[in-house]
Amino acid sequence: MSDRITTNMVIGSTLADINSAQLAMDRSQEELSSGKTIQEPSDNPFGASQVIGLQSSLDGLSTYEKSAQSGVSWLNTASGALANINELSQRVRELVVQAANGINNKADLEDIADEVQQITETVKQDANTQYAGQYVFSGTLTNTAPYGQGEGNDAFQGNEGAIERAVGPGATVNISVGLSSVLGSGQGSGDGKLLDTLRSITQSLREGTPAAIEAVSGADLKSLDTNLEALANVQADAGAATDQLNTGLTRVQDLQTTTTEQLSNVQDANIAQVALEFSNQQSAYDAALRAGASIVQESLLEFLH
Amino acid sequence: MSIPTLQGLQTALSGLLADQQAIDVAGHNITNANTEGYSRQVAVLQTNEPMRIAALSPTNGEGGQLGTGVSVATYMRIRNTYLDAQYRTQNTGLGAATTQANELQQAQSAFDEPSSAGLSSQLSAFWSSWGELADAPSSEAAKVSVVSAGKQVADTLHEVNAQLEMVQAQAAQQYTAITGPSGEVQADAKQIAQLNHQIKLSLQAKQQPNDLEDRRDLLLDKLSELGNITVTKEADGTDTVAFGNAAQPLVEGSEVNWPQALTSAAGGKLGALLELASPEGAIGKYRTSLDEVAKTLAGSVNALHTATPFFTGTTAATIAVAVKASEVQTSKGGTEGDNEVALAIAGLRGGGAEQQYAALIAQVGSDVQSAKSDETNAQAVVSAVNGQRQSVSGVSLDEEMTNLITFQRGYQSSARALTSMDEMLDTLINHTGVVGL
Repeated sequence: MSDRITTNMVIGSTLADINSAQLAMDRSQEELSSGKTIQEPSDNPFGASQVIGLQSSLDGLSTYEKSAQSGVSWLNTASGALANINELSQRVRELVVQAANGINNKADLEDIADEVQQITETVKQDANTQYAGQYVFSGTLTNTAPYGQGEGNDAFQGNEGAIERAVGPGATVNISVGLSSVLGSGQGSGDGKLLDTLRSITQSLREGTPAAIEAVSGADLKSLDTNLEALANVQADAGAATDQLNTGLTRVQDLQTTTTEQLSNVQDANIAQVALEFSNQQSAYDAALRAGASIVQESLLEFLH
Repeated sequence: MSIPTLQGLQTALSGLLADQQAIDVAGHNITNANTEGYSRQVAVLQTNEPMRIAALSPTNGEGGQLGTGVSVATYMRIRNTYLDAQYRTQNTGLGAATTQANELQQAQSAFDEPSSAGLSSQLSAFWSSWGELADAPSSEAAKVSVVSAGKQVADTLHEVNAQLEMVQAQAAQQYTAITGPSGEVQADAKQIAQLNHQIKLSLQAKQQPNDLEDRRDLLLDKLSELGNITVTKEADGTDTVAFGNAAQPLVEGSEVNWPQALTSAAGGKLGALLELASPEGAIGKYRTSLDEVAKTLAGSVNALHTATPFFTGTTAATIAVAVKASEVQTSKGGTEGDNEVALAIAGLRGGGAEQQYAALIAQVGSDVQSAKSDETNAQAVVSAVNGQRQSVSGVSLDEEMTNLITFQRGYQSSARALTSMDEMLDTLINHTGVVGL
């Protein structure tokens, strides 16, 4: 039916072409300036829902990352304290061996006893180490110091609860270090643990009788060695937990890289491609304008005089 | 039988008059080239009643008919009513698609996705705040941030819901405005009824009411954007207009039946507005889905936060954080270092609420996408049909210029014929039989 072309048809279609060329340019312009190919869900409905999921995963991963990092710091703090306790215990062992050599007088033994007592308090101070205001060896009673200061305060105040750090969906690592299984609850409990042993060494040294010295170099030394072994185990556990966290951290960081990549694939504009399209659209727009300018002016009127 | 002496003058005169009228028509066309809804007109020329000459031939006495010139039989409006009907059907579709696309676009922007202000980001921040609380379960600051992130989520749900509600309310308002007593439908129908009346009178007086018909057709075109219309041409020249899915014809002769009830099956802009305003419409469904998201969120968090419900309310409009920072529960055991509840809630990330929301966004996105492409398609079809109509009815200035020249030359030629007659008569009257005078 379009064998007959009227002036308004030409104007109308030229205008429509110019409009659509401009619209396409506008769209590319938006993509270029924002760097995103999905401005609104309707640009890519499935992509938009993917972006929501991926963005949330990414946020989740950074939470896991922070968790794991704070877990590692917690364990580093704990390991530092454990190393100190280990060193102090080794020193006690040396002192015990020194005390047992039989050439010490009463005053010497008293000096040694003083040092062991001093060390005992230092061990308890180390056990009261805090990370970010939380006691690291109290189980889940993180606001309670595990040990009070002074001789009568050797009872463990914390619990055996697990402190969990999430390192992935459903994956948690227990960062609670069971130091109480090494330190025990002191002489009152008679549990033979480190504090009990240290207190009994001090006591025996102060007595200074050959029988007491015998006990120090015998049963107490043996008990000290047992506790040192247990301490080494706890240190190994803390190390293992740190490894677990670090493994989790590496996995989280790998996932962050791939998720970021996926997100970018879905939502980021391919700048090179869009820029190329944009320059094509510009040419089309230019051509539409030129054509419009020359066609719309043409009329029989130009040629009649 | 002889021919009247002055007959030739009459014949030439008829040519002058007809050409003049044709030039007038061309002038009318040119001046209305840009008038909306105008159909070009053509002066239909027709030979005059011939003069019967009983015995023309001197040899066998046979008679003959002598032409007596030309006259304009009628001014014809060049219009294809089939294309009109097609245009209106497509225009109804376009009206619906445009409205749908505009309103859904508004609904889409209510969600503000993907952005850092949308619900998905707020939800994500909420889960992150629980993750941070799990790392420091006794931290008052972490609890405060959990509560404030929860409030943000609730506020965003309220806001999105309220904006969707507003889009619906605006659709309903628009419908009321268009169909109300001073609305477009009433006004257009009234004009159509008046034109019907005038056209009927003109036809009774045997006058072709071209321009009145153009104006009526333009009104029908406009009305077709609002809803389905069916136009029945009556014998007296009036149009009976059935509109939307109203029970009575909107216009019947010079009578208007309005207001009448319409449903979303009315088509066009009005049908789309009714659909969007209704709870069963697209936006109503978004709101239902948003309520589901709120309900799942509250349900899943409360199922873990067992001491006191973290959220109250189960709809997007009513959900609210029910706890103070001091009441935020991190564990079941109650010791300050326990964090299993915080961990479990942080683990809800990517769960039901988020998936439902992502599905809702995908739904909104694809609805807007298909509404936009419907609009583009409808626009293309309407443009094509309109192009066809323009091709038939539109004024081509080149053509009118040519007509002007044609009829101008015709006029000049008739004038020349008149001059010839005049010269003949001059010879006859002034120079015949004057010998010796």
